[in-house]
Amino acid sequence: MDERPISPALKASALVMFIFLLAPLLVVLPISFSGDAYMAFPPSSWSVKWYGAIFADKQMTAAFSVSIALALVVTVLSLLIGLPAAYALVRLKPPGAEALGSLFTAPLLLPTIVLGLAILLVFAPLGLLGTFQGLVAAHLIVTLPYAVRVLSTALATLPIPVEEAASTLGAPPLTVFFRVTLPMMRSGMVSTAALCFLVSFDEVVLSLFMTGPRISTLPVAMYHHVEQQADPMVAALSVLLVFLTLAVVVIVDRTAGLAKTFVK
Amino acid sequence: MSAIALPARSARRIGPTGVVMLLLLPIALVNAVGFLWPVVNLLRMSFKETQATGALIDTVSTATWATVLSDSFTLDLIANSVGVSLFITLLTLVASYPIALYLHRSTGLWRTILLVLVIAPLLTSAVVRTYGWIAILSSQGLIANALLFLGITPPRLMFNLTGVVIGLTEILMPYMILALLSGFGRLDPRFEEAALTLGATPWKTFWRVVVPLTAPGMALGCLLCFVLAISSFVTPKLLSGGRVFLLATEIYDQAIVTLNWPVAATLSMIVLVLFGAALALYTRALRRIA
Amino acid sequence: MIRTAPDEMAGLKQGEGFLSLRGLTRRYGPFVAVDDFNLDVAKGELVAFLGPSGCGKTTSLRMIAGLVPSSSGHIVVNGREITEVPPYRRDMGLVFQSYALFPHMDVARNVAFGLEMRKVAKADAAARVREAIAMVRLTGKEHHRPSELSGGQQQRVALARALVVRPSILLLDEPLSNLDAKLRDEMRNEIRDIQKRLGITAIFVTHDQMEALTICDKVVVMNHGRLEQVGTPLEIYEHPKTAFVAGFVGRINRLAGTASGGIAEAAGVKVAAPGFTGPVEVMVRPHRIVLSAGAAPAGGDLHQLSGTVARATFAGDILEYEVEAGGVLMKTEAATRGGETVHAPGTPVTLSWRPQDTFVYTAS
Repeated sequence: MDERPISPALKASALVMFIFLLAPLLVVLPISFSGDAYMAFPPSSWSVKWYGAIFADKQMTAAFSVSIALALVVTVLSLLIGLPAAYALVRLKPPGAEALGSLFTAPLLLPTIVLGLAILLVFAPLGLLGTFQGLVAAHLIVTLPYAVRVLSTALATLPIPVEEAASTLGAPPLTVFFRVTLPMMRSGMVSTAALCFLVSFDEVVLSLFMTGPRISTLPVAMYHHVEQQADPMVAALSVLLVFLTLAVVVIVDRTAGLAKTFVK
Repeated sequence: MSAIALPARSARRIGPTGVVMLLLLPIALVNAVGFLWPVVNLLRMSFKETQATGALIDTVSTATWATVLSDSFTLDLIANSVGVSLFITLLTLVASYPIALYLHRSTGLWRTILLVLVIAPLLTSAVVRTYGWIAILSSQGLIANALLFLGITPPRLMFNLTGVVIGLTEILMPYMILALLSGFGRLDPRFEEAALTLGATPWKTFWRVVVPLTAPGMALGCLLCFVLAISSFVTPKLLSGGRVFLLATEIYDQAIVTLNWPVAATLSMIVLVLFGAALALYTRALRRIA
Repeated sequence: MIRTAPDEMAGLKQGEGFLSLRGLTRRYGPFVAVDDFNLDVAKGELVAFLGPSGCGKTTSLRMIAGLVPSSSGHIVVNGREITEVPPYRRDMGLVFQSYALFPHMDVARNVAFGLEMRKVAKADAAARVREAIAMVRLTGKEHHRPSELSGGQQQRVALARALVVRPSILLLDEPLSNLDAKLRDEMRNEIRDIQKRLGITAIFVTHDQMEALTICDKVVVMNHGRLEQVGTPLEIYEHPKTAFVAGFVGRINRLAGTASGGIAEAAGVKVAAPGFTGPVEVMVRPHRIVLSAGAAPAGGDLHQLSGTVARATFAGDILEYEVEAGGVLMKTEAATRGGETVHAPGTPVTLSWRPQDTFVYTAS
């Protein structure tokens, strides 16, 4: 790699834009330690009381539990539904596989506000609004395209001779899949799981259409909270969320790093 | 030499087509129930009507379309949304280009760190980032307090269009940066070196070599950001406090507050039409560039 | 003596071999990858499938392994028809060009995989794995991952993995082509030694004529999905049945000519060509030509052609000439013995070769 000097003008403008890009995330940390009763920057006093406030807020803790459970269920279902689909499309190549692949990833193209409304109109008469099942179904519609896409790429890059080798050594197709194909897809599976988890956990627009007074997700609860009062509790929550995201990313990186040592 | 027998097993056969159908059945179900049917239903809904009482009339008519397209409020809404989205797209492009170019030219660990910094906001909820902007832009926020400290009366930065534009620009930057980066593959540093040795000034080199080569990436980024801007809802709603009216916020209000589903459906269809128009424009622009 | 040409299909014995292919064919739409392939392989033989890329040799091997279904024809092993048997019940050992080791298993578990599939008892399997790893000289590397091994070591693991189950036939798909030249020679001999020691029937796919000629009992030359010739390395080299075989296996000079009345004339040289009429190709290998300066000595029954040196190349071991003669460039080569004069370009020379080194084929 040749190291080309980067002009000072580019460096300076990139720095300014990076500050702009990261500003909203950076201000959240100091505000979360505010001792004020309302949001102000810079805070006039410091404390950790807003972190305590999160756990005292029954609605927030309930919404947090719902979001975690929802993201886990959606992630597992995305893998269970996405993996067979990716395998069929990539390996068995039925006629029209490409068109089917586009159809299955099409929900990503639709603006979420439109998709949210469309799902609302269909789910309302089915009694799925304000239910956990309804939220799972709605989230699956946006996580499955990611799952199919990432898993298809992972499958397409696997060396087929390795599976053929297993087959000639006496492994029937299902054994080949579970003993060879699946272990080789480890890093693809982890990436997919992380992506689906984060997409579901952060999803707000679809959830806004699907939630009601009985059930809410964390982003929706935060949205409604900010709509009424933007107090420092949301900052404390945001910090926790950023750390949760970081944890997921680190897990992926560690696993992908490990995978590199296997597959090379 | 003694061979070792493979375990014999009677093969239970379902044809290859059967296997494919079985594997695709779950996703096909989700797609049909959660995507195809809702979209068809949404289109159908835009051809229904509501009575003055708000009750839904199950009919097929263009009445809702006619009302929406003749109402000066919705026409303004569409024009505003398109104008604001275009402006935000332009700002996003200008703000993202230096970062993308810098990222493209950096190498090794430094590049990885910068890339993580670009992707990190993408993985953070829009609600969190919007909240961050409230902390910066509100009357008790970072900018207002900094200006007051300097003895300047701070302008109003929130609960108006200014706040929405600033917030959405930042929200959309990671998408633009990644789109630009994907298009920068063609930008070989040797092209620039060639231009420089041929006597072009760095500024000329930038406009005559770098910009044209990165145009496809810019076009992709602009398409993406325009579509996201015109359909984004959380950031405009929170930063404007409901004082700025855009297509997406109106769709939500019609669907959840007013409960006028035919109008919400019609406005959604208009978003899709604008989306299609942007896509067509992009395709044409790409052909001109290439 | 005169080599005659390809009117009869190459020397297929009618008796059943240990492995028999009958009319094996593979079509991809209108494209015929393998066309009516017939072959008998005796037990313990090492047979090469030799040909340029795209000739159908790998497709044939994959049909034998069961990885590619045949369009028509039959595959019989030891009297048992296996044409419709899936690969995992065929009992073949396949060694891939890319090694295809399981990246998530160590060497021992890679080798043990086939035994595990055959439900061999643990203690027995462990002993066999140890033995197989020792056979390919990798003792001590049992718990290394494939990514920690060199290319040659990976290929030896692949060989051990294929052989540990004692397959009825060992199939090798270009096993040496990913190795560097020195390692390739070493592995080539190693494969041959192991194959002989175990007495296993083996098929070796290669595009390298050296590999095919040096280690195989029998060579099958293929081109455009068709079998060109089957024979021992000596037969293939000394008695090529078709112009393709003559050109593909070893180097060759080609002279265009015309035949009538049992005599072919090319560039003024008359050679015996019984049974040929019309345009023919006359061929002779470069190192079978003797080059002498000046006019032709009355050469008895040698074929002779005079020309002038166009280029002389001293390559250490050999001395190569390109001679302009009869309107074409004829190549000659001879081992250097020391003290020879290198003829400068423009020197008039005479090329002589024996009639039995002359091949005649109908021009294509």
